Amino acid sequence: MILPSDITPSLPLWQAALQLAPALACAVAVLWARPTVALASVWRGARCAALVSMGAAALSLAMLAFGTGGAGFGVRADALGGVMLLLVAFVGWVIVRYSQPYLAGERDERAYARWLLTTLATVGLVAVSNHVLLLALAWTATSLALHRLLRFFGDRPAAVVAAHKKFIVARAADLCMLGAAALLMLAFGTGQIDRLLSLATAQPGLPLAAQAAVLLIACAALLKCAQLPFHGWLIQVMEAPTPVSALLHAGVVNLGGFVLMRYAPLVGEMPAAQVLLVAVGTATAVLAALVMSTRISIKVMLAWSTCAQMGFMLMQCGLGLWQMALLHLVAHSLYKAHAFLGAGGVVRRTQQMQLAPRATAPGAAALAVGGVIGLAMVLAAAAGSAWLLPAHAAAPAAWVLAGILALALVPLLHTRSPHLGAWGWPALAGAAFGVALAYFALHALFAGLVPASAIAVPTPLWSAVALAFGALFVLQSVIALCPRGALARGLYPWFYGGLFLDEAFTRVAFGLWHPPAPAPAAAAMLPAPDAMTFPSTLSGARA
Amino acid sequence: MNAPMEAPLVRAQRLGAHIDTACARIAPTWPLDRFIAVNPYWGWVQQPMAEAAAALGTLGGTRLSMPRAWFREQWHSGRLQRQHLRAALRAGGTPARQLDAETDLLQTALLDDPAPPMRLRLASDLRDAVAPPRPGISWADLVTHQVSQHCAAYFDKDQAAWGMDTAAGLYGSWRNQLGSDHGLIWRQGRAALRAKVAALPASPQALIADALDALGLAEDGRAAYLTAVLMAIGGWAAWCAWQRWEARLQAADDDHIVQLLAIRLAWEWLLHDDAPPGCVPPGWAARWATASQAVHALQQAQRCDWLLQHAAEIAYQQPLIDSLRQPLPAAAPAPAVQAVFCIDVRSEVFRRALEKASPAVHTRGFAGFFGLPIAYSPAGSTLIRPQLPGLLAPALTIGDAPAGTGLGQTLAGRRQQALQVRQRWAALRGTPASAFSFVEALGLMYGAKLLADSARSDAAQQRWEDTGLSAEEAATLRPTLARADGDPAAAAAMAKGILGAMGLIDGFAPLVLLAGHGSHSTNNPHAAGLDCGACGGQTGEVNARALAGLLNTAAVRGQLRGMGLHIPASTHFLPALHNTTTDQVLLYDTDAVPAALRHDVERLRGWLDAAGDQARAERAGSLGLQALAARPAELKTALQQRANDWAQVRPEWGLADNAAFIVAPRARTRQLNLHGRSFLHDYEHALDPDLGVLTLIMTAPMLVTHWINMQYHASTVDNRRYGSGNKLLHNVVGGHLGVFEGNGGDLRIGLPLQSLHDGHTLRHTPLRLSVFIEAPREAIDSVIAQHAMVRQLVQNTWLHLFRIDAQTGRVEQRSAVGWVAAGADAHAPA
Repeated sequence: MILPSDITPSLPLWQAALQLAPALACAVAVLWARPTVALASVWRGARCAALVSMGAAALSLAMLAFGTGGAGFGVRADALGGVMLLLVAFVGWVIVRYSQPYLAGERDERAYARWLLTTLATVGLVAVSNHVLLLALAWTATSLALHRLLRFFGDRPAAVVAAHKKFIVARAADLCMLGAAALLMLAFGTGQIDRLLSLATAQPGLPLAAQAAVLLIACAALLKCAQLPFHGWLIQVMEAPTPVSALLHAGVVNLGGFVLMRYAPLVGEMPAAQVLLVAVGTATAVLAALVMSTRISIKVMLAWSTCAQMGFMLMQCGLGLWQMALLHLVAHSLYKAHAFLGAGGVVRRTQQMQLAPRATAPGAAALAVGGVIGLAMVLAAAAGSAWLLPAHAAAPAAWVLAGILALALVPLLHTRSPHLGAWGWPALAGAAFGVALAYFALHALFAGLVPASAIAVPTPLWSAVALAFGALFVLQSVIALCPRGALARGLYPWFYGGLFLDEAFTRVAFGLWHPPAPAPAAAAMLPAPDAMTFPSTLSGARA
Repeated sequence: MNAPMEAPLVRAQRLGAHIDTACARIAPTWPLDRFIAVNPYWGWVQQPMAEAAAALGTLGGTRLSMPRAWFREQWHSGRLQRQHLRAALRAGGTPARQLDAETDLLQTALLDDPAPPMRLRLASDLRDAVAPPRPGISWADLVTHQVSQHCAAYFDKDQAAWGMDTAAGLYGSWRNQLGSDHGLIWRQGRAALRAKVAALPASPQALIADALDALGLAEDGRAAYLTAVLMAIGGWAAWCAWQRWEARLQAADDDHIVQLLAIRLAWEWLLHDDAPPGCVPPGWAARWATASQAVHALQQAQRCDWLLQHAAEIAYQQPLIDSLRQPLPAAAPAPAVQAVFCIDVRSEVFRRALEKASPAVHTRGFAGFFGLPIAYSPAGSTLIRPQLPGLLAPALTIGDAPAGTGLGQTLAGRRQQALQVRQRWAALRGTPASAFSFVEALGLMYGAKLLADSARSDAAQQRWEDTGLSAEEAATLRPTLARADGDPAAAAAMAKGILGAMGLIDGFAPLVLLAGHGSHSTNNPHAAGLDCGACGGQTGEVNARALAGLLNTAAVRGQLRGMGLHIPASTHFLPALHNTTTDQVLLYDTDAVPAALRHDVERLRGWLDAAGDQARAERAGSLGLQALAARPAELKTALQQRANDWAQVRPEWGLADNAAFIVAPRARTRQLNLHGRSFLHDYEHALDPDLGVLTLIMTAPMLVTHWINMQYHASTVDNRRYGSGNKLLHNVVGGHLGVFEGNGGDLRIGLPLQSLHDGHTLRHTPLRLSVFIEAPREAIDSVIAQHAMVRQLVQNTWLHLFRIDAQTGRVEQRSAVGWVAAGADAHAPA
């Protein structure tokens, strides 16, 4: 399915309305959830809205397949926005369904439903907006709505601290986005994103104001995607109900990546922004992935993993591999939303793992053999997909990612296998080759969804990325092979401590902006002995 | 010996005694995959409950009864009445002439809201009173977080791929870790902290000795202070207490709890040293030496709380006692089926329904592990897990037949391969350098998973123990006691003991159903807590199948005959599993049923289905499904869907609202609706001349029911310290160790809020267990006299003990002054 990336200048009103339908449906459900409406009806309304959103998003994407995209009435219909819209609507639908039984009996159930729907509405707006100001304002609104969800347990000091961290970072990101919007309007004399992008690509080089705007957008993306050292709020997000953690993956924590993709032609003209994205993204991906492997609780582990994955996505943006970044955004959102919602099942999964003897470290030679086989497989798969889809031309940066894939397959391919039996290894190798094929096929598929970019990535930049991931592989192997060696023991306290970056950030940020006091201990389901507060049904008996 | 030689030794002995006292106060907590109920006050039962409550309040700030507002609610709803207050006062020794005045006072006390207990302050509290370490976080929380994260990293074997070096022990590795911390803010500078940490004694005992000296704690205050310090990190203390519990079951020992005490005490010392001038008030250390006065004062202050608690219990007991006195129904006809269920309160609802479905079914109550002291190892796996109460250590390991034969080995090999492949896939997902490419290649598949998990499903539960086996392979396996074939004499001896304890030694029906029980929930970290506690927090089919196999073995029956126990050849034992979430009963090993009994089995199936409908209808209201109560098929589907719903935080109510344990023949309770609040154990005193069975019941099942009762009680009255908080925030630690609530904090023990409360009302009424035993005074007294633990529970009022007179049906209560009449006999006009 190759969708038209060439946007026609105008959009009929009905199609603009279709683009806005997901946001509108959620907004209507927010208005419906008044205090006079029974909770069951609130949730029915929410489920309806989520379903309508999903239908509208799917329809909007289907329209594009028939070649009728465009921009008008402040909104835009293109493949990028369509994919994002469908992702948000789908994950939103899952979360709404999940939340009703999950939140049942909570004191602020109604407020939760309203802010959840508000968040979904505002993300839906970001996905379709075609005006720099609308985009910036919807982006700000998203974070303000999310803030209310992060403070769902506002009487928990830890929740207040985490939400406040997010609040500080988000306001900085808002300033960047609003500044960028102003600068872009100044530079191009228009706020229409499609017009502005075609103006920018028509002339060589960007005006100074636009260059500053791109840098600000990159900064905003790094802030919003919880990159080091602004990641503290993300790794403490489990102070909010589980579905809120999943909601982050419905276009909240990854919104920075989407905005970069939206402005992709501009980013391609601004090498400093690319370097910034690649440097911070790569560093976060590598470091956060290692921190992740030291985490001892399921949700914190997942949050560090998100932090690393967002780094990887931003690195792909910086390398101009937009189709890969979009695939990463979508695939990771689905994967991680599922992982968070299913986090309670980890006990069962641990039991299942305990049926088999604990895995032993494979040994350096076995790993090396695995690496070589992986590389051969990736080359074969790449050749196969290039033959199948010749349009998919490979830049050097893309080859770096293929190399990362080869290393990634080693856990399936290494040859140390005590209980694998006769068919075990061949089955694993076949699976690994399947993974490699799927990887290239999906990249080729997504290449049709975003405009091709012709960014020439400087050799030092992609080499640095290659080195960083090579180092990650070596380090993880050394740690696995000699878990009690000097290197593993020396590095452990640093990674266990999350490199102490959040402590440093918190010290500075809270010095500038003190967190608010937690709400007075609210009526919990059960009275806390030192809080002496009771459910409303009990305090009613006082009369 | 002269004094200077003696002093260090005596000091060390005294210190050791203080440490032992503090550590012995902490009850163990079991990991999530073996989550069984435990009385979290188990270390305090040698004291009267009211006294223990005052001590726990003084040292830990907790309370053991509900706030006054709850009793007011009971009063306004009419459940608690003046006559109950009066009865509680009379039982408490109030003379008759003061009874009216005292009752008036107690009624007035219902309107008070006394301040919660104030605990004595630790050094971390003193620092918090001056300034927090960081905006928004207290020292107490920060210390808890640091210690808790360290313990998690130390004990975790399953979550982190890159684990901590634990060679230095819990305390030693903590010292290393804190020495390389770069995030803490220290008043005297971080370098000073690192120097201090480096200078801490290397052994935990030495640290405790030095810290107590440095803090200026006098000898008299040390035990109390150490107890309070350990209670400040109560979750991990309970975890370490479990390490010790397990070690001691194996006749070994474990000192992690002492190391944990050293860690938390080191923090006290460090914070005390770094305190700004004036932060530590004069006399702070001396205050601990007079802790007993504070305890005494609090106990006085809590007098009304305990009277009200007892009154609430009397309000529950009185109607129950009156109904137990009703004359027994005429003897039932010979049964077509005898069905043995677990003593669990959930069985009561189902047993009543099954008996209603057919009078030809006689049901019995017995501990759901069926007396088998076993651990279970699924075929082709390395897992060995206990299938018996946490009080006991397994004596036998059972496997799945036909393992051992050629067929079994092939199957085991195939399974190992499948498990290895699973392991590799998990590595692909979780290895740092692989996770990125994994997401890009396979992440989209999780869209389908999201869809599948969001869809309603009424699929039956899959046993996770069968992972890596096909359904056909799993169906060929049967948990089997190797002893049944290998050593029939020993097996028969065991079988005789079990049948004797069940009271099932003659009058066998053609079919004897042995029904274990298990729950069905999805995405639920506390799922094991809903399974059979007597099986160690597992489903009970393994034990039921093993025992049925044993009793159906001809060689064993032959041996039993030699021992005077005759099981007719026409009798067959049929294992089953009662799913407490959906109230469906799954029959196992029906292929082994003799042809002559096939029809009986089919008839039984019909009765079980009818009973299921009835039981589900009875439970529908409590699950918010009242609308479906009259539509059996839809209700059944709704419950199955609920069990499969990954977002469902209240799959069933477990043992909530448990309140009584009745030890008597079923005839005593057969006509009663006990509303799923009673544990039921069959006991026929006439068959127990040497009191062996009664002793067993009072030392094991009574203890277990008391643990369950106190688990629910503690989680209800103080969910912050003895419950695990809100499921919406649960964050599983180390794959199965326990949960954090949110990002961190202490390891949370006990039950989640959602297991106790439906968002509108409490589903558990925190009442101490009322135990009713149909046996003579002397028999019960003799068990009490011989077993200190039973004596403590009864005399220190951790439970109420009643006896039912087999002939007259009169009920008497064991009180401080001996047996006194209870129920209608004790009623005086209010």
